[in-house]
Amino acid sequence: AADLSENLAGQLPGQARVVICGGGITGASVAYHLGLQGWGKDTLLIEQDRVGGELPWSACGLAGRFEPSYTELKLAEYSIDLIKQLTERGLPTGWRQVGSLNLARNFDRMTAFNRMKSQAVAWGMNCEILSPEQCKEHCPLISLDGIEGGLWIPEDGVCDPHLVCHAFMEEARRLGVRVVEHCAIKKIHSSRGKVDRVETTAGDVNCEYFVNCTGFWAREVGTLSKPVVKVPLKAVEHHYLHTKAIENLDPNTPFVRDFDSRIFFRECEGHILAGGFEREAKMVYEDGVIPLSQAARQHPPDWDHFHELLDALLRSVPPFRKAHLDRLTNSLQVFSPDCKWILGEAPEIQNYYVAAGNKTMGVSASGGIGRVLTDLITNGSTYLDLHILDISRFLGLHNNRKFLRDRCKEAPGKHFEINYPFEEFQTGRNLRMSPLYPALKAGGAVFGQSMGYERPNYYDQNDKKDEFGLPRFRIAQTRTFGKPPWFDHVASEYRACRERIGIADYSSFTKYDFWSKGNEVVDLLQYLCSNDVDVAVGSIIHTGMQNPNGGYENDCSLARLSERHYMMIAPTIQQTRSMCWIRKHMPAHLRAKVNVADVTSMYTAICILGPYSRILLSELTDTDLTPKNFPFFTYKELDVGLADGIRVLNITHTGELGYVLYIPNDYALHVYTRLHQAGQKFNIQHAGYYATRALRIEKFYAFWGQDLDTFTTPLECGRAWRVKLNKPIDFIGRSALLKQREEGVKRMYVQLLLNDHDHEVDMWCWGGEPIYRDGVYVGMTTTTGYGYTFEKQVCLGFVRNFDAEGRELPVTNDYVLSGHYEVEVAGVRFEAKVNLHSPNLPTKFPDREREAYHATRDKRDQEDLLSFSSNLITTNNNTGMTRQ
Amino acid sequence: RLLPQLPQLSPYDVNLVLRENEFVYNFPLEGVIRSYETNQLGSNSPCEDSRTEASLLYRPNGFVCGIFDGHGGAACGQVVSKRLLRYISAATLPRQVLREQMEQPGGCTSQSFLKCHNDNVDFVNEIKPIYEHSFQKYIKELIEMPERDVASELKDAFLKLDESLSNEALTSNDPRTMNVALSGAVACLVHLEGLQLHVASTGDCGAVLGTLDPKTNQWIPKKLNQEHNVDNMQEVKRILSEHPKGERDTVIRNGRLLSQLAPLRAFGDFRYKWSLDIMKKQVLPLVGDHGMPPHYYTPPYLTAQPEVQHHELSVGDKFLVIASDGLWDFLSPSDVVSLVGEHINSKKILEPMRIPEGDITLNQISEQLAERKAGLTRKPVDQNAATHLIRHALGATDYGIEHSKISYYLTLPKDVVRLYRDDITITVIYFNSEHIAELRNEYHPPTLSEPDSPLAA
Repeated sequence: AADLSENLAGQLPGQARVVICGGGITGASVAYHLGLQGWGKDTLLIEQDRVGGELPWSACGLAGRFEPSYTELKLAEYSIDLIKQLTERGLPTGWRQVGSLNLARNFDRMTAFNRMKSQAVAWGMNCEILSPEQCKEHCPLISLDGIEGGLWIPEDGVCDPHLVCHAFMEEARRLGVRVVEHCAIKKIHSSRGKVDRVETTAGDVNCEYFVNCTGFWAREVGTLSKPVVKVPLKAVEHHYLHTKAIENLDPNTPFVRDFDSRIFFRECEGHILAGGFEREAKMVYEDGVIPLSQAARQHPPDWDHFHELLDALLRSVPPFRKAHLDRLTNSLQVFSPDCKWILGEAPEIQNYYVAAGNKTMGVSASGGIGRVLTDLITNGSTYLDLHILDISRFLGLHNNRKFLRDRCKEAPGKHFEINYPFEEFQTGRNLRMSPLYPALKAGGAVFGQSMGYERPNYYDQNDKKDEFGLPRFRIAQTRTFGKPPWFDHVASEYRACRERIGIADYSSFTKYDFWSKGNEVVDLLQYLCSNDVDVAVGSIIHTGMQNPNGGYENDCSLARLSERHYMMIAPTIQQTRSMCWIRKHMPAHLRAKVNVADVTSMYTAICILGPYSRILLSELTDTDLTPKNFPFFTYKELDVGLADGIRVLNITHTGELGYVLYIPNDYALHVYTRLHQAGQKFNIQHAGYYATRALRIEKFYAFWGQDLDTFTTPLECGRAWRVKLNKPIDFIGRSALLKQREEGVKRMYVQLLLNDHDHEVDMWCWGGEPIYRDGVYVGMTTTTGYGYTFEKQVCLGFVRNFDAEGRELPVTNDYVLSGHYEVEVAGVRFEAKVNLHSPNLPTKFPDREREAYHATRDKRDQEDLLSFSSNLITTNNNTGMTRQ
Repeated sequence: RLLPQLPQLSPYDVNLVLRENEFVYNFPLEGVIRSYETNQLGSNSPCEDSRTEASLLYRPNGFVCGIFDGHGGAACGQVVSKRLLRYISAATLPRQVLREQMEQPGGCTSQSFLKCHNDNVDFVNEIKPIYEHSFQKYIKELIEMPERDVASELKDAFLKLDESLSNEALTSNDPRTMNVALSGAVACLVHLEGLQLHVASTGDCGAVLGTLDPKTNQWIPKKLNQEHNVDNMQEVKRILSEHPKGERDTVIRNGRLLSQLAPLRAFGDFRYKWSLDIMKKQVLPLVGDHGMPPHYYTPPYLTAQPEVQHHELSVGDKFLVIASDGLWDFLSPSDVVSLVGEHINSKKILEPMRIPEGDITLNQISEQLAERKAGLTRKPVDQNAATHLIRHALGATDYGIEHSKISYYLTLPKDVVRLYRDDITITVIYFNSEHIAELRNEYHPPTLSEPDSPLAA
């Protein structure tokens, strides 16, 4: 071994721009793409064993595009095209376009297929809905017993992952990438928060970028740097069944997935390769330490564990009963806690990239992942919005070994389950809870989890106690594409918020404090935010943090607590992500002077909303809450009940009259109890996330991560009035937005109300439905829901304007308003009415101040309302509430 | 029941608590041990039990593991659990190898001779050199000594470690070493090399071997140690004989040594070992006059000397369970052996299904699997045998496991929980019968006086 290291020491350059660790298919793809960008000479790939060392056939080799989201689908599609292209150039890949046949055994699965078929138009994918008989035509082997139908994707195919990996590697070498084998990583050093050197068993290499593509070991490699890079992954056992050669087996047998039986199979070199995703996966290496040698990782096959899948396979494909066994292999697969890939720049260290957690889909993922990581490294941006796959979607808790052990039993099974709306995991729960949690649970809350937080989704008074009379922990379930089981509960909460008073737990929202000694905090925020943050103390500003292309990296509310102190409220899923953005884009001269603190876990947030909320809060505080003293969109620190120092924001994020109270955790239960008690005379009611969501969709409020992403600009979503292009500072994204203002937007955010949709029987919209204008596809819905006031399905989404050649033209108001719209829901089109502005909802309690406020608009006419000014007060001292 | 109003845990929550400290280690290479499973359920806060397992380096197939039940604080147990294995790893090396290692450039450290599994903590920096110094002194002494049989080496290692604890407390200025010396720990340690199994035990932990009788197919428990507590008459007689007749009524009182200490042998606890002079000069000023045990006339009253039992593994020996007294309070050795035995049977996972050579159709496999499944009386809730034992200890009733009983034990308030259950720590070691059979056929069983057997070569 000593000789070998000496040999290697000669090979290893002392300097490389990029060091890729891991010679599996992902690492090979990243190396190849860097080579394509002309970075080949600057790239070094190290591998502790041999490149492509995985045993042949420890993956199924499906190159398919049946993915739950646009981003994943596009990455898979790119991978497939790339494999095809390599094949055409004569590299062996094993690629054959045999198509994929997806089977449904129940109505909901069929609905999921129909939804996919609808989306396929938008996503540029070919697919076809099949009757059971047509399924049999594509694959005569299967039994039709219990099959309701299928989805046929003709352009999917199969390949040999081993060969593809070698093809990538060979191409990468040709493009100048240096590859050093038998060289293991020992440490990744950083200075000033950026990667600068790696230490390996064969010596040190100075570098600018490090890419962790180490598959199973990605979590362990993450611990080799300071600070530790958190890559939440857990290895589980995964079986593949190989039969002996079968006579007369059609080499063009499609790749078949019988999701409801949890199994798949394909033809492979004259025999059948089959596998599946069991309900509960079997854990291995519970201490998280995975042996490096191939031999030590070989596990004996666990037939008892595979039994259920084997029986399902034989039921589904009776001819296989007679097939002879060749082998059952047991190889490792790693899963992330949400069963999605993990990519992007590590939040902990700049220029440290991660691509891991490719589940069993290495081939479908690797091409696309190589491309986007290369884009990020060489350009800083890429062609797809990656936030759902970004490594910054996690918190430290997700990397906890015991959490992973608990959660990742469940994660693999999700892979073949129906992608119902608002899906929840059953494991890893009750992890992060606000101080109100016991009280809310006793109040009937049914919970959903977001960033580990247990958040009440709705309240159900039935069956809320267990057999011992204690409040039961219940997880919200929808499990249908039609009218959800919680419809009536949410309806009642919605009405409370509109007509009386609702109380909601907003504690999961991301909360940061920004402060400095001098004026630096204002300088920083002016640079990061597109709105003008230099407003009067006590004001609240809604603003985006734009990227250089003008897209939203973050969408937040800023309250100016004092001259040099701001509090930021952002979506729950921004907790890690927005800190990364801020740190990364903090100008060097401000770095030492501005403090940014994540205070999410220090405050409990209660929102009271509805027409009586002002009277209720007045009873509990000494401060005058009339609009004259405490106008809409302003902030005050109040005493509430016996507590003080409560940060109160006169906004609700849903468009109702109301307040969000940010309460230090130790006072939270007291304040909640007082509000709830005092609210009894107004018949106060708990409201969950689904109710507040319904409110905001009807009011046309956009949320980051759901409607807005890194590719959406404020001009496209009716928020131009929140961008101050004339600010005396060149904030991030300014030039892109100026350019877009000149050229016009290519898509526009609209609200659509479906006509003739019967919410009792028709399938609902759940986001991702295609929108048709005059019969032509123009865009997709983002968030949707039932509008309890309109009594209609309400869809938010984006409308584009394609010409005959498919080029995008600018979208104008006239264009949007002149069309005739339809939305296709699981194969059925519904006529829709379009809105460009937040509508005024009919109400018994007119509140001029809020009615004048439109979250989504295109004119700047109501701008004055946004900042705290004296003429605002005079116009608003006559609202419905103050009269009472 | 005294406390009727306890919150009820859901089965999911119970599982989370019971499984929190689960650990499984599968030995990658062919060896006498196939795997081991451990688990721990604390009662004291912090838990006063510790456990360590390690493979011996330079001794192929050498394995040591131990369970340590601390009292009067967790310090002594934690320290002994780490250090004892290191002392033993050096003591059981052939002297020649030890000498060679010491002559290597850089010498050797206390961790040179073993590899611990699932060990994530180390001593703080101020303490490490003190311990390292004691270790170096110990191996220097070892080299001068002639090689002895394993049992003697184990006894000597126990006593030498205890001596180190005493010296460190009296000579170093770090108050932490005194803290360690004033708390105590009992230990049960297993040393295995080839077929030779030694169990060295000090105090009231227990080890029991599960053997399957090939004729009757019954599980037979074999106790591999004697607890050192007042139920052990031999032990009581030994102590009484070591002190003047006049102390007969005070040496053991209320079932405790000097009416204070339940185990009759232990590491640390130097308040029962040091001379009156040391106590007055160095201990009482620190802890006050109540630190002196009543009727303390002719110390030492306590020793760390273990009793060592030897057992040569045979093909029928399937597993060994070592556990702290927290388990034995609930279950007898024969209960434990039959529970683990049943667990093996019902799990069948330790004997993975074998596919016969030659052609077999998938349908035949499916039928075989169905048969196996029907044969499984009941799939155990827990994969881990140690968890299985804890679940039975807490929840067993005449009608099977009762969930509410477990929940009751787990939700007892902190201030009373110790009265109902002690810390429980269990390690179950599974033997590889095939490998044992191979060894027995190929080699003549080595004798005790020949520690350097061909097995290790």
